[in-house]
Amino acid sequence: MIEYFYPNEAATPLLWEPVLFAYTLLVSGADLLILASLGYLTKKLEKTIPLLLILGISFFSVVLLGPLADLRSPHKAPLLFSIPHISPTYTTPGISLIAFQSILWIIALILSIVFMLLYFSYPMYLKSKEVERFKGLYLAFSLGVDSREKYDKLSLITKGIAIILLLPATLWGLYPSTLLISQTWSFVWRNWVMLPVIYFADTFVVATAIAILVYFIWRRRRMEAEVIQPLLKVHAAGSLSVSALTALQLSIWWFWFDDSIIIQSLTTITSWMFIVIALLITSFVLSLIALRFLVISILVSLVAFAGTIANKWNILMNSQLISKTGMGVFELHLPADWLFKTASPIALAIFLLVIISSLFPLEVKEVG
Amino acid sequence: MIKLSAILVLTLPLASVKAEKMSKRYSMVIDVTKCYGCMACVAACAGENNVPIGYFRTWVERIVKPEGNVIFVPKQCNHCENPPCLPPCPTGATYRDENGVVLVDDEKCIGCGACVQACPYGARFMNPIKGTADKCTFCDHRLKKNLLPACVEACPTGARIFGSLTEKSELKNIIDTRPTQTLKNYTNANPQIYYINLPKEADR
Repeated sequence: MIEYFYPNEAATPLLWEPVLFAYTLLVSGADLLILASLGYLTKKLEKTIPLLLILGISFFSVVLLGPLADLRSPHKAPLLFSIPHISPTYTTPGISLIAFQSILWIIALILSIVFMLLYFSYPMYLKSKEVERFKGLYLAFSLGVDSREKYDKLSLITKGIAIILLLPATLWGLYPSTLLISQTWSFVWRNWVMLPVIYFADTFVVATAIAILVYFIWRRRRMEAEVIQPLLKVHAAGSLSVSALTALQLSIWWFWFDDSIIIQSLTTITSWMFIVIALLITSFVLSLIALRFLVISILVSLVAFAGTIANKWNILMNSQLISKTGMGVFELHLPADWLFKTASPIALAIFLLVIISSLFPLEVKEVG
Repeated sequence: MIKLSAILVLTLPLASVKAEKMSKRYSMVIDVTKCYGCMACVAACAGENNVPIGYFRTWVERIVKPEGNVIFVPKQCNHCENPPCLPPCPTGATYRDENGVVLVDDEKCIGCGACVQACPYGARFMNPIKGTADKCTFCDHRLKKNLLPACVEACPTGARIFGSLTEKSELKNIIDTRPTQTLKNYTNANPQIYYINLPKEADR
């Protein structure tokens, strides 16, 4: 194989380190918030809303830690918010998706917290009546909503916020794939035409796999079909979509690149794609079985995690190892602390989940 | 009246300076047939700009043609008219100046690497010493002193010709009268480094 790459690529083949890989998983927090909003608006995932909301906020609030850890000058990170490049000028044309999404992150986070507080207001009031400990705290979280009538009136505002939240959350669900395909000149990303839709569907797979896993750990054998089945259905649809779209992308590449050098360069990527397809089809089949035998849900979640981790790793890490010329492949050399750095933001998300779920219930009996 | 004339006196030269600055569009022509791969430009650039070892603001590619001829092609930042590296920068740290030179403001650069990923020519890198994006500046610190970029000055065969596209210059004359080529036109970046006798194998 003829290898050709730029010398600066050889100096730093993996420009975006694996800590960003954690970021791509944590983006699923946005999809959890989408599901929570849709659930609230359509009343279809009603019993799952608290779980989705708490999980979504826990993951989404730490989502920017990945890129922050990957910055070469992290002390200058506040500039992202103080001088964001979101309006084009002659000297700085275009709009930076990184800056735009960072601003959107603040908006989405505030909206989701307000959504959560409004959603839990009356249940918090009810809880304050049940307990003696932290009574004042629960009363504070009730926001003065002490009757069902008030809660029903408030639901109009809550619905409004849920609707507004859908827009930034959806844009986050599509990000960073939109950045990869539109604002980079990586050979693989530019030619991965199905990337935005694959990525969007994949974040739903991760989101539902997380929700299923947490619900399984929380309820074990007392799982309710009413909660788990809607999640399994969304998960099945997501898994099937990612598998089908990945297969379609493979076909597109075979059709486009009859050039043997490029096909050889893409060997690692395409072989990982087969693994992703196999794992996510397995997850799809298991989801269908789990709809009848709920206990299998844990397997659905674990297989989906394997599939989606392989997919995200392939998209973010393996793709960077292909030269911008499409005619060279680098070897993967990970920094010594990559696992620790990658796991840290996820660990913080889990820590937040424990804190928030100790304040707000994962299941609400009395809802509006 | 005195005030008005003072304003006129002060603003007229300023306006002409601005117009003069706006009128320049720096560019470079590289005559591939004159490059014999001595790497003087690479060494001069590294020395002039403290380029870290292993990284390159300019480099020379060696291409062996099917018939066995060896050709050397110097490459660097193309200071594009439509630079793909500019939009992704989240803080506007990377910008183009009034003469079309694409630069990086180290004070504003947070080191996210977005511009490095965005450059189709592999001309940018993350400077491990400074923690910021780095690239060819056309030696803008030298231009301010009316000096040529270090690579141009160091080239023993005059393969690199530097100048303004909007003024009467050797560079403009070449571009107007001789066939020239640019790299990766499919990117729509409209690169401003022009090549003479660029073999098609080098367009990558």
